[in-house]
Amino acid sequence: MSPGPVTRWEAGLKVTGQAVFAAETPAPGLLYAVLVEAPVGCGTVLAVDAAQARRTPGFADLISYPEAQGLKPSSVTALIREPTIHFAGQPVALVVAENLAAAQAAARAVRVEAEARPAIAALGQALDQAYTPATAGRNPAESRRGDAARALAEAHLVVRRRYETAVNNHHPMEPHAVVCCWEGDRVTVHTSTQAVFGARAAIAHAFGLPAEDARVVSRFLGGGFGCKGQLWWPWMMQAMLAARRTGRPVRLELTRAQLFTLAGRRSETVQELAVGLDADGRLTAIDHQVLAQTSTHGEYADTTAGVSRWLYACPNVTTRHRLVRTNEPQPIPMRAPGTAPGTFALESALDEAAAALGIDPVDLRVRNHGDHDQEAGRPWSSKRLLECYRVGAERFGWAHRPAAGAAGDGRWRLGSGMASTFYAQHLQPSRARVRLAADASLVVQCGTQDMGNGAYTALGQMAAEALGVPMSRVTVELGDTLLPQGPISAGSQVTVSISPAVAMATAELRAILAQLAVADQASPLAGQRPEDLDFADGLVRSRTGNVAEPLADLLARQAPAGLEAEGSADLPQVQTHSFMSHGAVFVEVGVDPDLGEVRVRRVCAAFAAGRIVNPLLATSQYVGGLIGGIGMALHERTVTDLASGRILGDNFADYLIPVHADMPTFDIALVHEDDTHLPGGIKGVGMLGTAGVQAAIANAIFDAVGRRVRRLPIRIEDILGHPDPRDGFETLT
Amino acid sequence: MSGPAFSYARPADVAGALAQGARPGAAFLAGGTDLIQLWKAGLAAHAELVDISRLPLAGIDLADGELAIGALARLSDVALHPRVMAEHPLIAQAIAATASGQVRNMATVGGNLLQRTRCAYFRTQGMACNKREPGSGCGAAAGETRQAALFGASAACVATHASDLAVALTALRAELTILGPDGERRIALPDLYRLPGQTPQIDTTLAPGELIAAVQVRRAAGLAARSTYLKVRDRASFEFAVVSVAAALRLEDGAVVEARLAAGGVAPLPWRLAGAEAALIGRAPDARAFAEAAGLAVEGAQPLADNGFKVELLRRAVIRALETVGATA
Ligand SMILES: Cc1cc2nc3c(=O)[nH]c(=O)nc-3n(C[C@H](O)[C@H](O)[C@H](O)COP(=O)(O)OP(=O)(O)OC[C@H]3O[C@@H](n4cnc5c(N)ncnc54)[C@H](O)[C@@H]3O)c2cc1C
Ligand code: SF4
Repeated sequence: MSPGPVTRWEAGLKVTGQAVFAAETPAPGLLYAVLVEAPVGCGTVLAVDAAQARRTPGFADLISYPEAQGLKPSSVTALIREPTIHFAGQPVALVVAENLAAAQAAARAVRVEAEARPAIAALGQALDQAYTPATAGRNPAESRRGDAARALAEAHLVVRRRYETAVNNHHPMEPHAVVCCWEGDRVTVHTSTQAVFGARAAIAHAFGLPAEDARVVSRFLGGGFGCKGQLWWPWMMQAMLAARRTGRPVRLELTRAQLFTLAGRRSETVQELAVGLDADGRLTAIDHQVLAQTSTHGEYADTTAGVSRWLYACPNVTTRHRLVRTNEPQPIPMRAPGTAPGTFALESALDEAAAALGIDPVDLRVRNHGDHDQEAGRPWSSKRLLECYRVGAERFGWAHRPAAGAAGDGRWRLGSGMASTFYAQHLQPSRARVRLAADASLVVQCGTQDMGNGAYTALGQMAAEALGVPMSRVTVELGDTLLPQGPISAGSQVTVSISPAVAMATAELRAILAQLAVADQASPLAGQRPEDLDFADGLVRSRTGNVAEPLADLLARQAPAGLEAEGSADLPQVQTHSFMSHGAVFVEVGVDPDLGEVRVRRVCAAFAAGRIVNPLLATSQYVGGLIGGIGMALHERTVTDLASGRILGDNFADYLIPVHADMPTFDIALVHEDDTHLPGGIKGVGMLGTAGVQAAIANAIFDAVGRRVRRLPIRIEDILGHPDPRDGFETLT
Repeated sequence: MSGPAFSYARPADVAGALAQGARPGAAFLAGGTDLIQLWKAGLAAHAELVDISRLPLAGIDLADGELAIGALARLSDVALHPRVMAEHPLIAQAIAATASGQVRNMATVGGNLLQRTRCAYFRTQGMACNKREPGSGCGAAAGETRQAALFGASAACVATHASDLAVALTALRAELTILGPDGERRIALPDLYRLPGQTPQIDTTLAPGELIAAVQVRRAAGLAARSTYLKVRDRASFEFAVVSVAAALRLEDGAVVEARLAAGGVAPLPWRLAGAEAALIGRAPDARAFAEAAGLAVEGAQPLADNGFKVELLRRAVIRALETVGATA
C-alpha cells in the first residue's frame, strides 16, 4: 500500500451540488419546523399556550413537554420531556407548519408562561460550588505521580501562572438539520450527525423501536468539529415526534444563532499551573489545576490537564479538573478537546521558563522529552516528536531567527514562537464491506461519516490500493445505518479504526481472487502460487514469474456476479502501548505595539502521526486545524450577558473567526513515522493541528514585544494593557 | 429567522419614492444589507418597504472642486472610482476598509450613513435596550462595554455609530442633500445624527419620509496628498472598527494650515476632533504637535468597565494617523 495524494473522492459531487446534505433531502409533503425558545434563562415552564399559534395560517402541530411524554426518559430526552429551563435560548416547544415563514410566524405566536429562578450566569458566580467530576474526557479527573508539592518547593525555578481561555463554539458551515419520514412504525431520519449508529440507538431507545426500524442517514456533513452528536438529538427527536403525529415528513434546521446554544461549546477554562525546573531546564514538577464550566443538565469536562500528564518527562505531576455548573449551554468536545486549552497553558509556561533559564525553547523541550508514557507506565507505540522539533525548526529557520524584539517590518514588530502539540490516539470497533464487480469496479461501504475531512477518500483509497484498482473505479458509501457499522467521527479515530476492517475485507478478496486465478487454466497465472500474486494497476500479476492478467478478465470468467467480503476489527484486549501523535508548531507574528494589532504571518508545523494515507488530506486537516487554533488564539470568544444569560452577538459579524486576510503562509511537514502497533500504522490527524499553535502565537507575541498574554483570545487591549504585575518568577538561588 | 410580512413597492422616480416613503410605516430599502438583517432578527417591522435602489441617484460627479456622490451609489463603485481614489483617497480608503467585497457591492452610501448601531444588545431581541425598546433599560451599560462610546453617550444609551465612511466624510466636512415632502435641504453630515440623550431610539434628525439624495464634499482637493483612514481592529478584514481615525493635513511652508480629524468607534456619531484640529494649525508637523493634538483628542473621554483601553488606543491612533499624513520627506 503506497500512500497517495489522491484528491477528494466526493469533491465533484460537492462543487456541482449533487451531494445532498440532510436539510436538502427531498420529501413530498414536507412540513417545516421552528423551535420556540424559553422566555427566561433559568426556571420552569408553567404553560405553553398555542391557541394563537394554531390560528396562524399553515400551522400544523406543536410539540412541547406533554407531547413528548411518550418518549423514554434518558439524558437525551430530558430536555424535551422535562419543563425545567436550564439555560437562555433553550427551546421549550417546536412548531411545524406548511412552510418556513408560516412556522416562524406560528412560533412567534406561541405564548410561554414560565416561572423564573435566579440563574448562575457565569463560572465566577459559583466558585464555591466547584466539584471534581468522575472523569475528564475519557480519563480520570485527578492524577498524581510523585510529589509535586514537594518538588515545587525544592525547584530551582518555579513558573506559577493562571491561564484563561474563552468559550468557543464549533460552527460547522452546515447547521444541524433533520428531514424525517415515518412509514408506520418505521422511520428514516436524514440528519447531520457524526454518529449515525449512535443516533439510531438513541432514537430506538427513545421511541421504543427495534433498532432495525430506524434508519439514520448522514451522507455528507458540512463540518462537525464535535458538535454533531447527542446535544442535537433532543431537537431532532422533537421533529420526529411532529412527523409521527402529523403523518408527514418534517424538516428542522438550526439557525446560526442556535449553534451558539444548542450544539455545544468548548468550555472556558481557568487554569492554575505551576511548573518547577532544575537549573538545566529539566522539569521536576507540574501542578495543573483546571476549572471549567458545565451546564446544570449535563456534565462534561475536557482532559485539559492531560498535557501535563503526557507531553513531557516529569517525575512529579499532580493534575485536577473541577467543574462549575452554570445556567449556560452544555460544553462538549470541540476539535482538539483539552489539548487546545491545555497546551496553551503548559507551552506558555515552558516558554517563560526557557526565557528565565536562558535556554532555547526548542532545546528546553528536547531536554524534557518523554521516552515513554510515564502516566500509564507504558512504552509509546511510536513517537517522533524530536524529529518534529528538528524538521520544524529547520524549515522555519528557528536557529537564524532575529533576537527577541529585534525584527520589524514597517509598523510591525516581528516575533517567533513555538510549542508542541499532541493528541492521544484511540480506536473504535468497525466493520466494512468491499464489493468487487465483474468489471473490476469497487464499492466500499461503511457506516461511518465524512465530515468534510476526507473519510470518503481515505476509505476508498485503502481499498483501491489493496486491490490495485484505480480510484476512478471506486464508489464509496458512507453515512447510513443500513451499511456495516462504522466508527463515530470523533477524536481523529476514523481512518485508523476502519483500516483493519478494510484490510481484512480486501485480504479476503485477494485470497479468493488468487485462488481463482491459479486454478483457472484460462488464466496466464494458472499454476502460480497464490501467495506470489500481487494486485496493482488493475492487474493480477505474479511477483516471481513475468505474467499478469487484467483483474476484469479474471472476474469476467470466474466471478461474473462479482465478489464481496466484509471485514471487522475489534479493540485489542490488552493495551501494551500508549498511542499518541505529536507535532511542533513554529509561528511568526507581527505585532503593532502601539495599536495592539496582532497578525500571524507564518506558520511552520511538523507533525508525526503514523503512516499518512493521503498527504493532501492530512495537510488540509493540519491547515484547517491550525486556522481553528489561530481563531481560538486571537478571535473566538462567545460572550454571555450576565444579566440575561443570553449569548451576545450570536452571529458571524460579532463572533470573530479568522478571515482570508488573516491567513498566514503555511508550511506543513509530514514527518515519517512507522508504527507497528497500530492498525495499518495509522494515527489520526484531525485534532493535532488545532492545539499548540495558541501557545506558539502567545510566545511569538512575547518575542516580538515582550508582553506575556495568558488569556485567550489575545486582543488589542491585551497588547496595550499594563504589564501583569505577577510577571515575576520564584527562583531558588 | 425572518420578520413579519411587509408590502414592497418600487416607485419609478424620486417623486414617487417621496410620496410612498411618507406613508406611515414605510421605510426606504437601498442595498438592504442592514435593513434586511434587522428585519430577519425581528428588529425592524415596517408595513411597507419602498425600494429606492434603482432610482437615478447613484452618480459620482466631480466638477468645480466639488465631489457629489448620489446616495444610492454602491460603496464599491465609489471606492474604485479613479477620481475618487486620486482626489479623495480618504473616502476610498474608508470604504475599502468597510465590511467585505460582497457587502460593498450591495451597500449604498446613504444606507451606510444610516446603518444602525452594532450594539449586540440592540441587535438581540429580548435584551434590555432603550434604543430598540424605549424604557427597557440599557443592557450594554451594565454589561459588556468593550464597544461602548467614550464620548457623547448618555445614561440611557452608550452605543457607537459603526460607519467608516461617515468618519471620513465628517473629517472632510461633507454635506448632505436631503429631499422631503417639503422640498430640499442641506445639512452638514454630523448634523444628520443626534446624541442619544433621553431618546436613544431616534438616531437621526431626518423627518419621516425624508430621503438622502446626495453627499457633497467641497474644497477638499488640497487635502488629497496628506490624508489617511486608519482603522484598528482585531482581525485583518471584515470587522467593524474598534477605533478608527480619519486624518488629513494641508501644509504650507512647513506648517499646518488645515487639519481634519475625526474618529470612529468612540461615540454615537462620527466624532469630530475639533480641539485637536485647532491645536495643529500653524504648527510644524512634528511629534510634539501630534502628541498634543492626540492628548486633546481624548480629553473628556468617559470610559466604562471594558473600554478604557480605547482612550489610549484613540490617542495612539491619532498620533499614528498624523505621523502618516504629516511625514515630510
Ligand atoms: C457583515 C457586515 C459587516 C459590515 N462591516 C462594516 C464596516 O466595517 N464598516 C461600515 O461602515 N459598515 C459595515 N457594514 C454595514 C454596511 O456598510 C451597511 O449595512 C450598508 O452600508 C448599508 O447600506 P444599504 O444600502 O444596504 O442600506 P439598507 O440596509 O438598504 O438601509 C439602511 C437604512 O438606511 C435607510 N436608507 C437607505 N438609503 C436611504 C436614503 N437614500 N435615504 C434615506 N434613508 C435611506 C433604510 O431605510 C434603512 O433604515 C457591515 C455590514 C455587514 C452586513
Ligand atoms: S447602548 Fe444603546 S443600543 Fe446598546 S443596549 Fe444600551 S440603549 Fe441599546
